[in-house]
Amino acid sequence: MTTTWKHQNQLHKDSGHELLTLTANRRGKLTSVWLDPDDHRQSFLDLDLVDGSFPSLAASLPETAWDEREIHDLFGYIPLGHPDPRPLIRTPRWPKDFLPLRSAQLSPGWLEVEPDLPALQVEGDGVTIMKVGPTHAGIIESGHFVFSIIGENVLHLDAHLFQNHRGIEALLEGKTVGEVSPLVTRICAADSVSNQTNWASAVEQLAGFIPSERLLLNRIILLEAERVLSHLNDLAQIPAGVGYQVAHQRALAMKELWQRGLQSLFGHRFLFETVHPGSAVSAPADAVSEIVHAVRRHWVPWRQVVMGHHGFTNRMRGVGTTPLDQVIRMGAQGVTSRAAGKEFDARQSIPWYGEVFEGPVIRTSGDVLARFELRLDEVEASLRIIEKAARMTYKTPFQDQPFTVPEDIDGRAVAFSESPHGLNVHDVSLSQGRVSRYHVRAATYRNWPLVAQTVAGNAVADFPLINKSFELCYSCTDR
Amino acid sequence: MLWFTQIVGILILFVSSPLLWGITQTVKARIQGRHGPPVWQMYWVIAKNWRKETTAPEFSSWIFRIAPSVSMAALLAVLIMIPSSGQVPIGWPHDLLTVFFLLALERFWIGLGGLDSAGTFGGLGSSRTSTIGTGIEPALLAAFGVLWRVGGGSAIEPITPLLKASPGGTIAWSLAAVSFALLLLAELGRMPVDNPDTHLELTMIHEATILESNGRLLALSQLAMTLKLTVVMALGWVIMGPHFGSSWPNLTLLLIELAFTSVALGWIESRLTKLRYFQLPAYLSIAAGIGLLGFLLASGGFNL
Repeated sequence: MTTTWKHQNQLHKDSGHELLTLTANRRGKLTSVWLDPDDHRQSFLDLDLVDGSFPSLAASLPETAWDEREIHDLFGYIPLGHPDPRPLIRTPRWPKDFLPLRSAQLSPGWLEVEPDLPALQVEGDGVTIMKVGPTHAGIIESGHFVFSIIGENVLHLDAHLFQNHRGIEALLEGKTVGEVSPLVTRICAADSVSNQTNWASAVEQLAGFIPSERLLLNRIILLEAERVLSHLNDLAQIPAGVGYQVAHQRALAMKELWQRGLQSLFGHRFLFETVHPGSAVSAPADAVSEIVHAVRRHWVPWRQVVMGHHGFTNRMRGVGTTPLDQVIRMGAQGVTSRAAGKEFDARQSIPWYGEVFEGPVIRTSGDVLARFELRLDEVEASLRIIEKAARMTYKTPFQDQPFTVPEDIDGRAVAFSESPHGLNVHDVSLSQGRVSRYHVRAATYRNWPLVAQTVAGNAVADFPLINKSFELCYSCTDR
Repeated sequence: MLWFTQIVGILILFVSSPLLWGITQTVKARIQGRHGPPVWQMYWVIAKNWRKETTAPEFSSWIFRIAPSVSMAALLAVLIMIPSSGQVPIGWPHDLLTVFFLLALERFWIGLGGLDSAGTFGGLGSSRTSTIGTGIEPALLAAFGVLWRVGGGSAIEPITPLLKASPGGTIAWSLAAVSFALLLLAELGRMPVDNPDTHLELTMIHEATILESNGRLLALSQLAMTLKLTVVMALGWVIMGPHFGSSWPNLTLLLIELAFTSVALGWIESRLTKLRYFQLPAYLSIAAGIGLLGFLLASGGFNL
């Protein structure tokens, strides 16, 4: 049993499958779900716990290391043979018997102890430990970074995220289908549409509802609009990392222009609550292309100026390099993985994208410059997709599709989409019309461990630049 | 009369330094497409911090508390020596080498204060300040060496009137001016060496050393920062810039030059990105190399 679990998972990884989720439930069962990128089929692997523990995969499949630590922290199941069994989400302030996803009743309580978890540090002569955060100088989320540095070089970075665990998965349990959307929308402001779409697809799949082509086109427009928004923000932040304030401010102005457009088209600057099971907010195609044109007028000269700036491109080249084999080993997703040459974009595996999707944008050097250029190309591709999809909505007939959730909706569905940060997966189990387990696996969850590995060997002063080139959000990871 | 114009000059330079800082900031904001804070913002910031409570980190000592005052004093001493209207009424120690050591003293105490703040960032900032300092000093010496050879002495006085007779001196003077301009950006912690506007604590150089300061200590550090900008720019213009015979036109000219440099600084900073930290020695070597070339040229018989 144990050997088959390890063997089967390894087999899937070796044959190029993507790990969608690895999670547990309170009945003592572990499930991993793998996606075949060629025929888009999902395979489910199950394991029953023995004495509240399970064999760890982390040693051979490092991408599962965080998942297993999370299962330990939230369920109390013990991963046997895990190379790094420190708490990931648990803080020392949680009472010992507090297991958010396992205990029937959550025992309130908060121990008055120091909040910091033990950190991995390098010891020796000339090594300085530098702690940054969890509160930072800029307006960003909370993350505690423990750097081991020698002179100006980073030897090791131990990133302690999960400073603001909201317990969304526990909150969602027991909710009716109608109550889920407001929470799922707010998991993360950067990947909101992607999260909403996943939830909607999962429910529709379980209800046996087939969305019309027009509804799917509207969702594509929203998903791509979100990608443009997120990429514009990231493209604005990377120049700030090297003090290129002109490019930073001009890109922020474009982002603001785009957000005002989103507000007028879809009613929300961050596209909250735009996608629901059975529906999606739509806008007239003319108005959509008008906004696209307005942004392009600023985009084209901005791109020319930025990429023509020798000092800036030189600053990004060869910094924060992630080799392709490491990207694959760590199961990295999204911009990070494609910038290193991994040809995977979840949009390939979503049938309803169809011919609208032009294929993944790839770079191979894996450095900050590759991630920057990749985003440039993806913004342009997304703008083209938006225009194309908007034109196609004219041709597709409007069908009124009333969607009612069956009272006794039941079952498990794993839905995914390509969020601005990469493969975003929701593993939804419903029983008798209520959520029995909801697991969110964001792309950033796979990429954070890679950031820490990438920074080692680079200069301390380059950390902001490298970190901004990944621009991972904390809230998707720390649901 | 000499005394009077000198004192007026000192006062004007001292009072206008936060304004010059503001001019640079406003130019930068406009190029970025922002309105930016008012030109006077730095006065309010300094006044605000001055009125606030001053605290010091637990493990810091008296060094941390006097560091801003020492660097301020060093800069004031340089300010007094600058012949803002063309001539200075005092003799010794009115000397380029004194200025050199006073600037080094200021840098040294900024570094000490950063180390004594007992924070990691302060230490990192001190280490960077000192590392850059070792690159700045030979370059500054080389540039001063040119002035010494061309001017025939180490007194701080305008050398441009002496250049007319010597084509070699003019070339040496140009090299010294270029070297000085490159150094100015490094010494003042400007782009491409340091970004004075950043909030990214890991990339800071000068800002990191005063990261733990607040209240009056911070106000003093900020005033010293703006004063250093004025002093170094004024030094360059007074020695290497154009010159009139009488004092009042000279003072007016200096103020125009300072305003112009502040605008230029804002423009230059908007065009550049920060260099990699490990590339800074190369930048400083270029400044030193140019200065040294000027010095060799000036020493090779062209001096008057």
